Amino acid sequence: MSLIDEKDQVRTEEMLLNLGPQHPSTHGVLRLLVKINGETITDVEPVIGYLHRGTEKLAEDLQYTQIIPYTDRLDYLAAMLNNYALCHTIEQAMDLEVPERAEYLRVIVMEMQRVASHLMFIGAYLLDLGAMSPFLYVFADREQIVQLFNEICGARLTYNYMRVGGVKWDAPPGWLEKVADFVQYLKQKFHMYDELITGNEIFLARTRGIGRFDTETALAYGLSGINLRSTGYPWDLRRKKPYSIYDRFDFDIPVGQNGDCFDRYYLHLLEIKESLRIVEQALKSIPSSGPVLGKVPKMIRVPAGEYYSGIEGARGELGFYIVSEGKDKPYRLKIRKPSFINLQLLPELLRGQSIANVIAILGAVDIVLGEVDA
Amino acid sequence: MWDWRSQPLTVPSVIAMLIGAVVILLLALGVVTYTIYVQRRILGWMQLRIGPNRVGPLGLFQTIADVLKLLIKEDVVPAKADRALFMLAPIIAFVPSFTVMAVIPFSAHNVFTANLGIGVLFYLALSAITIHGVMLAGWASNNKYALIGGMRSAAQMLSYEIPLGLSLVGVVLMAGSLNLNDIVLAQQHAGLWNVIPQILGFIVFLIASTAELNRTPFDLPEAESELVAGYHVEYTGFRFAFFMLTEYMYLFAMAGLCATLFLGGWSGPLLPGWLWFAIKVFLYIFFQFWLQATLPRFRVDQLMTFSWKVLLPLALVNLVLTGVVKAIW
Amino acid sequence: MIGFLKGLSVTLRQLPKKKVTLQYPDVKPEWPERFRGVHRFIPELCIACNQCARICPTSCISLSGERDENKKMKIHTFDINFDICILCDLCTEVCPTEAVLMSDTFEMAKYSRDDLYLDMHWLHDNQLKYEQAHPDRFERARGEAD
Repeated sequence: MSLIDEKDQVRTEEMLLNLGPQHPSTHGVLRLLVKINGETITDVEPVIGYLHRGTEKLAEDLQYTQIIPYTDRLDYLAAMLNNYALCHTIEQAMDLEVPERAEYLRVIVMEMQRVASHLMFIGAYLLDLGAMSPFLYVFADREQIVQLFNEICGARLTYNYMRVGGVKWDAPPGWLEKVADFVQYLKQKFHMYDELITGNEIFLARTRGIGRFDTETALAYGLSGINLRSTGYPWDLRRKKPYSIYDRFDFDIPVGQNGDCFDRYYLHLLEIKESLRIVEQALKSIPSSGPVLGKVPKMIRVPAGEYYSGIEGARGELGFYIVSEGKDKPYRLKIRKPSFINLQLLPELLRGQSIANVIAILGAVDIVLGEVDA
Repeated sequence: MWDWRSQPLTVPSVIAMLIGAVVILLLALGVVTYTIYVQRRILGWMQLRIGPNRVGPLGLFQTIADVLKLLIKEDVVPAKADRALFMLAPIIAFVPSFTVMAVIPFSAHNVFTANLGIGVLFYLALSAITIHGVMLAGWASNNKYALIGGMRSAAQMLSYEIPLGLSLVGVVLMAGSLNLNDIVLAQQHAGLWNVIPQILGFIVFLIASTAELNRTPFDLPEAESELVAGYHVEYTGFRFAFFMLTEYMYLFAMAGLCATLFLGGWSGPLLPGWLWFAIKVFLYIFFQFWLQATLPRFRVDQLMTFSWKVLLPLALVNLVLTGVVKAIW
Repeated sequence: MIGFLKGLSVTLRQLPKKKVTLQYPDVKPEWPERFRGVHRFIPELCIACNQCARICPTSCISLSGERDENKKMKIHTFDINFDICILCDLCTEVCPTEAVLMSDTFEMAKYSRDDLYLDMHWLHDNQLKYEQAHPDRFERARGEAD
């Protein structure tokens, strides 16, 4: 190189490629400013905030019950988990007892929600990689979960189902049987997903060894959920800091080995299996009747102080941090949004990669823009 | 009058040629229209959906409605685009796609088909021109996605042209002729379709032709989830329609070529020749849609490696084997 | 090579399966009883206690009441600004007399935002429509009341 005079070389310059906010594969309205030199990425800057609604600020002016419907709209693919995370924090702060049946119902809907969210990831990821059919197959399956939720709480996406101290509604007659049927149905579908996706050579070639990071990096960036577990670090809050009644169930924490995109895809599939196991056990041991809403004061006032509790959301540790002055509204509400934190690693992951890998890596980080922007 | 190939150029023969060209154009347009319909239906069924069923009985007029919509849309040329090239590109892309139809023998009596002695070469040479149209479209749009799409497309089509061409040489060796009609006759004479003795060549052809057509899993140039729509991202209205038409015209032409070279063309027992041809063409097209419903997309560098390191050696092996076998017998 | 062929067989197997598409404008979806669509309102039951307006997270309900000859509160106006309603169902949860409820009306595409300002009459008509569409639910409720 040094032998050739600079002037003789072909002049190249970096190109700034604007990926999004209107782009089919940025999972909403994420904008990536990608600097590329030829096909190699030299720098990435995620630009967020297109879906910002100021949930945290709005919450300061809302009573605790009124915040619950707002949490539906954070990670709109896992609204039940968001609902729970908020209610759980308030219950912890107020030291409330939650009736047994309500806890079981909560676990059932939360795990079903996790299944729905993971299914959605698989479909959307494969769509990013150019396969159209898996997206529609998972939607057909997810639709059944959504219908079940529609029956129990009257909405398909923004459930607003949990309440401080319990859940809003008991399961309608026959609902638990329907859930049991669905669990059996979905268990048989794994075979199909394995054949169609996991074994596909093109899919393997595009995801194996792509977007790798190790446990140290993941921990340094504060990643959680599948992004952390894919590096082989078995961190699952349902096990490590059991909340609700998770200590009663027998389930495994699947971990990856390489921390690449394939591991992250496959962990989603394995976690669906584990979630179904939990649902099955919960269906077996749920008390046949009982109250679903505990004794809650008419006006919910969190005693003055600062409270945090996190749960294992569909995308990582989802936590609510409440600063209270003892009034019926929080003084400050901070949400630990797993998508937002997982997104921070993206520039690091993409630097030095070729432009063709952007979508594969971004898709596997699994972000939901409603949560990133909040 | 219809046997215009062997006659000197006279007024009636020129008219006959024109009529022939128009008939083929209409036939091709009809095939393309319903190829798109069948594609959407098959994809729908494979994805637990129904597919188009609202326009006309069973949705049969859906494509016609879509094309009509495209034709009456505003024709937008971006302000910063290279106007002349932008407008020229769809034409450069489309014309060869239609011209290659001239050498495809549709039936035994060779209606309206130029009985060219170098049919196979003619096809390969003309289809290479389309690459220029695609590249120009990507360049002239003055859009980064279009540029990347156009460049990818050019690189991909050029690298797959070579294994495609080489896979055909085996067939040509078998028949001893480049004339497509002679190749069909040779297969009929041998009583064996080329797909069996040339199975290796057939596989290479199937893969390379899929890549040449820019179809899944090689649909990188218009990779929707990465490049939005690739080289035709800035095109609207009937210019866009031309690119779509080119794509499906090539699908039809490639299906015809596949049927002719490997599946015995119009030859076959009992049924009339044109029906045999139609069945074989449909099989190829169905296979393409089936792939589309199943596979994810290759990555661009893997795509190149695959062509040069896997397909090309395979095609060469096939060529050598064919040559050796041919020399011994 | 094998995995790819397996995938092909999977997609081919789906070909003859029953399709899941709902032919929407021709076939309407069947909503469960708890479905949260646009509100319905029963003016006779309302005691104008204002609880729904206070619990509403987006403050989309506004109402006013007046005392009738028996000194009882009667509803005078009841408006829902459906523009900002998030269908969270908290208003029906707090309503002591079940005067405001959710229906299964869900088609709300309108040409103007003004059309989304739903007043008492619209909401009551919606209640009548709901009663007509689901007489079984009302009969059951009446049976339970007896």
